[in-house]
Amino acid sequence: MRSTRMMLALTAGTALVLTGCGRDDGGSGTDAAPETGEEISTEDVAGEIDVWAMGAEGEKLPDLAEQFEDAHDGVTVNVTAIPWDSAHDKFTTSITAGTTPDVAMVGTTWMGEFAGLDALDPAPGSIDSSAFFEGAQETAVVDGTAYGVPWYVETRLVYYRTDIAEEAGYTEVPTDWEGFRQMAADMQEKGGAEWGISLQPGGVGSWQTVLPLAWTNGAEIAGEDAYQFDTPEVAEAVEYYQSFFTDGIANPSPPEGQTEADFTSGDVPMFISGPWMRGIVEDMGGEGFAEQYDVAPIPVPEGGTSSSFVGGSNLAVFQQTDNRDTAWAFVEWLTEPETQVTWFEETANLPSVQSAWEDDALASDEKLTAFGTQLETAQAPPSFPTWEEVVTSFDTEMEKVAKAEADPQEALDAVQAQAESIGTGQ
Amino acid sequence: MASATTTPRRRSTDRRRGETGDPEQKGRGLRRGGKSHTVGRRREERAAWILALPFLVLFLTFTAWPVIQSTFMSLTDTQARDLRTPFAVDFVGLDNFSQALADPIFRQAAFNTAYFVLVGVPLTLTMALAAALALDKGIGKFRSFFRLGFYTPVVTSIVAVAVVWRFLLHPDAGLVNTVIGWVGVDGPNWLGSTTWAMPSLIAMASWRNFGTAMIIFLAGLQSVPWSLHEAAAIDGANAVQRFRHITLPLLKPTILFVSVTTAIGYLQFFEEPFVMTDGGPLNSTISASMYTFQQFSFGNYGYAAALSYLIFVVIVIVTAIQFRVLRERD
Repeated sequence: MRSTRMMLALTAGTALVLTGCGRDDGGSGTDAAPETGEEISTEDVAGEIDVWAMGAEGEKLPDLAEQFEDAHDGVTVNVTAIPWDSAHDKFTTSITAGTTPDVAMVGTTWMGEFAGLDALDPAPGSIDSSAFFEGAQETAVVDGTAYGVPWYVETRLVYYRTDIAEEAGYTEVPTDWEGFRQMAADMQEKGGAEWGISLQPGGVGSWQTVLPLAWTNGAEIAGEDAYQFDTPEVAEAVEYYQSFFTDGIANPSPPEGQTEADFTSGDVPMFISGPWMRGIVEDMGGEGFAEQYDVAPIPVPEGGTSSSFVGGSNLAVFQQTDNRDTAWAFVEWLTEPETQVTWFEETANLPSVQSAWEDDALASDEKLTAFGTQLETAQAPPSFPTWEEVVTSFDTEMEKVAKAEADPQEALDAVQAQAESIGTGQ
Repeated sequence: MASATTTPRRRSTDRRRGETGDPEQKGRGLRRGGKSHTVGRRREERAAWILALPFLVLFLTFTAWPVIQSTFMSLTDTQARDLRTPFAVDFVGLDNFSQALADPIFRQAAFNTAYFVLVGVPLTLTMALAAALALDKGIGKFRSFFRLGFYTPVVTSIVAVAVVWRFLLHPDAGLVNTVIGWVGVDGPNWLGSTTWAMPSLIAMASWRNFGTAMIIFLAGLQSVPWSLHEAAAIDGANAVQRFRHITLPLLKPTILFVSVTTAIGYLQFFEEPFVMTDGGPLNSTISASMYTFQQFSFGNYGYAAALSYLIFVVIVIVTAIQFRVLRERD
C-alpha cells in the first residue's frame, strides 16, 4: 500500500518534471541585433571591484592594480588568482550560481560560451575598438556584439636557425610556400639537420599550425552561422601541410617536448611558435644564441597575404556587477597604451593596443617588431561556443593527415560533417 | 537501517521483562508493558531517525540526488549553457544512448577499454600473485624491503610515474630501447605508435597497480593452513601440484575480490592515457572514461551522462560474470 503510494508520487513527480522540460523558443538566437553597452560615467569611479585573473597574470595583476587605486581615490581592486586548470569550471559554476566577479580575464575561446550564457556585459561605445589589433578585437565579438576587449595578445612566427640557413644557402626566409618548403628541405640536405622543420603532426592544438596556412590562402573558417572547413582554400593548405610529412621534411611522430632542445642542437632548425619561445630557446642555447636564430612571418601561397593565429586573453565585465562604472573604468585603464607598456615590462605579455607598440620598450626589439607586424594580419578562430569541440575533431583528422597519409579533402569533409552535427551552439 | 530497528525492539523487551518481575502483577504488567512498548518504541524510533539523519541528508544530497539528476540528464539534451535553467531542456528519450553506440570514437574507446581490461587484469593478477608467492615463500631476506618496493608505485603520484615512464619509453634515449638495442632489436616509438601505445600503457598500469593486489594475495596466502601442504607433501605432491590443488582453491575468494576490484578500476581507466598520450596517436589509447570526460568538458552533459551509464552497465555485467565464474561452489 505504502509502496504503491510512493510509486504514484514518484511517477507524478517525474511526469511533472518532464512536462516542465523543453526549451524556450526565444532566448539568445542568432538574430539578436548587435548591441553597444550603455555609456559609463567616469564620475562614480569608487568602491570595490572583484577581479579574477589566471596564471601569471593573476599573480602580477595586484601590483598593477595598485597604480589604478592610487589614481582613483576610494577604489579597491580585489584580485583573485585562479589556476588555469580549474578556471573554466569556476567561471561556469559562478555564472550558474550568480556569483561572478565584476571584471575577469577571459580566455579568447570562452567568449562565445559565456556570452551565450548571458553572463557578459556588452562593451560601452566609449572603448575604441579600432585601437586594438583587428584579429584580437574579433575574439571579443560574439554575434556582432563586443563583450569585452583584448587585454594582451600573442601570435605565431617561424623560428629558424640563421647559421644553418646560411650553410644551406639562405640569408633570409622565402616568403612563398614553395620556397619555404625548399628551404626546409635544403637545411635538411645541405645544412646537416635531421629534419627540416618541426610541425605538430596533428593532435591537440595542431589547428594553430594548420589554420594560419589556410588563412594565408584566403580561407574563411566560418561564415555568419556555420563552419566551413571543406573549402578548396583549406584543402590546399592541408595538402601543403601534409607534403612536409610525406616528403620527409618533418617528423610525423616526434618525441614530446623536444622542440626547443632539437632547435638549439640544430637537429631540427625550424619551428612555428609564439613569443614565449624566445626566452626558452635563448636560455637553452646559452650565450650568443640570440644571434644564431631569427623569426620570419608565416609563408604565403601565390597571391595570398601572410596571416597567423592570434591568441591571448580578453577582459570582460560581468552583467551581474554592482559597480559597472568602476569595472569598465578599470578595463579601460588596463587598455591604455601606457598601462599596456608597463604590463609588457612586468610580464612580457604583448600589448593588444597597437599604439603601445610605438613605445621604445617594444620598438627597439627587432624580433618583437616582427611579432607586431604579424599581429596586424593575424586572425582568430570563430567565437562560436562549440569551437573547442569542433576543433578537437579537426585535430584528430589532421593527425590522420600527418601520420596516416589520409586524403586532405576527405579529412576536411569528415571535419565538416562533424562540425555540422555539432552546430555552432549559438 | 537493520540495527536501528532491531536494537530498540530488543531493549524494550528487556524492560518489559524487568517490569513483570512480580508474578502477581503479571497480567496488568503485560498490558502496561504493551503500552509502554509502543510509546518507547516510537520514541526510540524517533531517536534512531534523528541519529540517522545526518547520514541520510548527506546520502540524499550527494549520492541519491546526483544519481537522479544524471539519469535525467542522460535522457535530455542538456548542455553546459543550460546550467542556469536545468529543466528547460528537451527530453530526447534514448537518443543519447543510440548516438553513443553509433559514435565511431566511442566505439574505438570501448574497444580500447576492452583491450586494456582483457590484457591488463590477467597481467596485473599474475604479477601480483607471482610477487606474493615470492614474498611468502621464496624471499627470506629483505622481505619488507621488497614488499615496500613493490607497493611504492601504488602510492606514487601518476604524474611522477608518467614523467619517468616517458623517459623510459623515449624512442631514442629511452632505457627500454637502449636495452633491447643491445640485442640488436630496433625498438619502436612506443607512445607514438598506434600498435605499441596501448601495450605500453597496459604495462605501466599493471606495474603501477599490482602492489595492492599483491598485499591482498599475501594475506590470502598466509591464511592457507600449512598442515594441508604438509599432508599433501607426505602423500607425494610436489610444489606445483600443491599450488594447483591447495593454494589456488583456497585462494579463490581472494582472487575473486582482487579481480573484481581490479576490473572495476581498469574499466574506468583514465589517468594513464590522460597523462601519457592524451588518447593518441590516432585515438588508439582513448578510453571510454576519457571520452566521457571530454564530452563533459565540451559541455555536452546529456550525452556524457549517457556515456557514463553505459560504462556503469558494462561494469555491472563484467562484475556479475566474475562472480559467476569465480564463486565458491559448495
